[in-house]
Amino acid sequence: MDDLEFPYCPDSNKYEKLTKIGQGTFGEVFKARDRTTRKLVAMKKVLMENEKEGFPITALREIKILQLLKHENVVDLIEIARTRATSYNRMKSTFYLIFEFCEHDLAGLLSNAHVKFSLGEIKKVMQQLLNGLYYIHSSKILHRDMKAANILITKNGVLKLADFGLARAFSVTAKDKMKLLTNRVVTLWYRPPELLLGERIYGPPIDMWGAGCIMAEMWTRTPIMQGKTEQHQLQLISQLCGSITKDVWPNVDKLELYDKMELPQGQKRKVRERLKPYVQDKHGIDLLDSLLTLDPTKRIDSDLALNHDFFWLDPPPCDLKEMLSQHQTSMFEYLTPARRPGQKPAQGGNRRPTQMPDQHFERVF
Amino acid sequence: MAGNYWQSSQYQQWLLDKQDLVRERQHDLKILTEEEYQKIMIFFANFIQSLGEQLKLRQQVIATATVYFKRFYARNSLMCIDPWLMAPTCIFLASKVEEFGVISNSRLITTTAAVVKNKFSHAYPQEYPYRINSVLECEFYLLEMMDCCLVLYHPYRPLTEYFKDLSNEESLYPLAWRIVNDSLRTDVCLLYAPYLIALACLHIASVIEQKDLKQWLAECNVDMDKILEISRQILALYELWKNYDEKKDIAGILEKMPKPKTS
Repeated sequence: MDDLEFPYCPDSNKYEKLTKIGQGTFGEVFKARDRTTRKLVAMKKVLMENEKEGFPITALREIKILQLLKHENVVDLIEIARTRATSYNRMKSTFYLIFEFCEHDLAGLLSNAHVKFSLGEIKKVMQQLLNGLYYIHSSKILHRDMKAANILITKNGVLKLADFGLARAFSVTAKDKMKLLTNRVVTLWYRPPELLLGERIYGPPIDMWGAGCIMAEMWTRTPIMQGKTEQHQLQLISQLCGSITKDVWPNVDKLELYDKMELPQGQKRKVRERLKPYVQDKHGIDLLDSLLTLDPTKRIDSDLALNHDFFWLDPPPCDLKEMLSQHQTSMFEYLTPARRPGQKPAQGGNRRPTQMPDQHFERVF
Repeated sequence: MAGNYWQSSQYQQWLLDKQDLVRERQHDLKILTEEEYQKIMIFFANFIQSLGEQLKLRQQVIATATVYFKRFYARNSLMCIDPWLMAPTCIFLASKVEEFGVISNSRLITTTAAVVKNKFSHAYPQEYPYRINSVLECEFYLLEMMDCCLVLYHPYRPLTEYFKDLSNEESLYPLAWRIVNDSLRTDVCLLYAPYLIALACLHIASVIEQKDLKQWLAECNVDMDKILEISRQILALYELWKNYDEKKDIAGILEKMPKPKTS
């Protein structure tokens, strides 16, 4: 194969790595600069963990899904680059996904007490988030890893859904014909009750639950349900959203793990009551209540959520650009001090201390 | 996954024209005649089909693998990578991309070896030499060469859609479907949009079965010249098949085929 020359995937050398900014589902992420255009990008390395599988199916999914999705609120995949194969890397090149660079992620912003969101700005964040979800769901894609750390925000205040490493296509054909999907997706704290109960035929509502968790976090500044185990997560959900019963969720007893998990009985729904101290806006509370609905078939979808009064009554959604212009340094969750233990269960988080000594963080909630 | 062909990499990056193919094949055509080259491509499309059937893959996966194979050699000489290795690699990648799952390493290799031995020994009398490491390495080259353009649109779906409109002519459907399968043995999948190929196959089927679809085709309001050109290329394939005994001739042609240097 010596004579092969590939003018197709560009050499990753055209980018100059600057710093490591994160750990995605299948590899490290670096901030880098295009050596000729000087444009900043994010480079996500494709980890070849399971050699038997060849090029990882998760990376193939992310590539094909992002090539399909082009939307202002979805992170833009610029190209795929690779290192040259040499005898030093056993003739195996490394692939990188090259993304547009976004300065912040939402988890990073929320963990910095100096970053304050007004109600209008919170509305803008949620509106963009739901717009992105509306677009991907109508393209028949599930994100499957909604969490604040996967929500990027540019310095101009444009929100981008990112990390499609767990995303996949879903079909809307008759339920009995649907392919079973794995329920081992979504970071625990943002995982909806149907997945915790073993559902394998699911759809867009799983992302809407995550959107609800993130929305609450806009005020509480910290993930609202930080379970330690799947059982514990269900407990926390029941304490907030009320007991999981056939009354509020018909057919829940058909789910595989319904009998195997311990479900607290007699819990009252306390979404409004518990969030009121943080969220003064009554339409905000109302939308949160609809997003954090136990029964996925009754959970609000992105279309209806975008039409919610929350977005259409005063104060209107307000651009984030001005507020963000007061913060010069990039804020990524990965770079913040260990604020969220257990946030990255899959990766065994080898978190580094912050590289920006001028920042300090404190817990708000 | 819902997508749009007109925004796809297939349309934007991988719709080639005849000149591209002529230019890229120059090297191989110094050694092979055009007809021999075509026979090699037909042979490996058949090989991929057999592999796919043996692995119980859906036709969609087989079609994707076949187009990957054709894309690779549309941009590279046959001597770059041995097509006997490229064929199972295309199957391996296509199965992942089409969400048919990862074919286990041992199953892929043993099936390939078995298919070669049982069905293609006239063309390849030796034992199948490749192991999974070669496939995994080859997959990298394939991905790179396609610039990671993975999602493919095939004529099957538009064909099915057209038959919803042609509810009286359902008897043509299986024949038209088979002609689409055959079209994978020509270059049309690299040169034309899938809906045009579907219409051309439908057109051929209607002529064979003596059904008059001229009016319906006219109402489709598409470029008839293209439909006729696609039909011509598919009919040329049938013409070639008439006097061609693959079992007898292919070994000689493969013998001539430019091969990778073995180190």
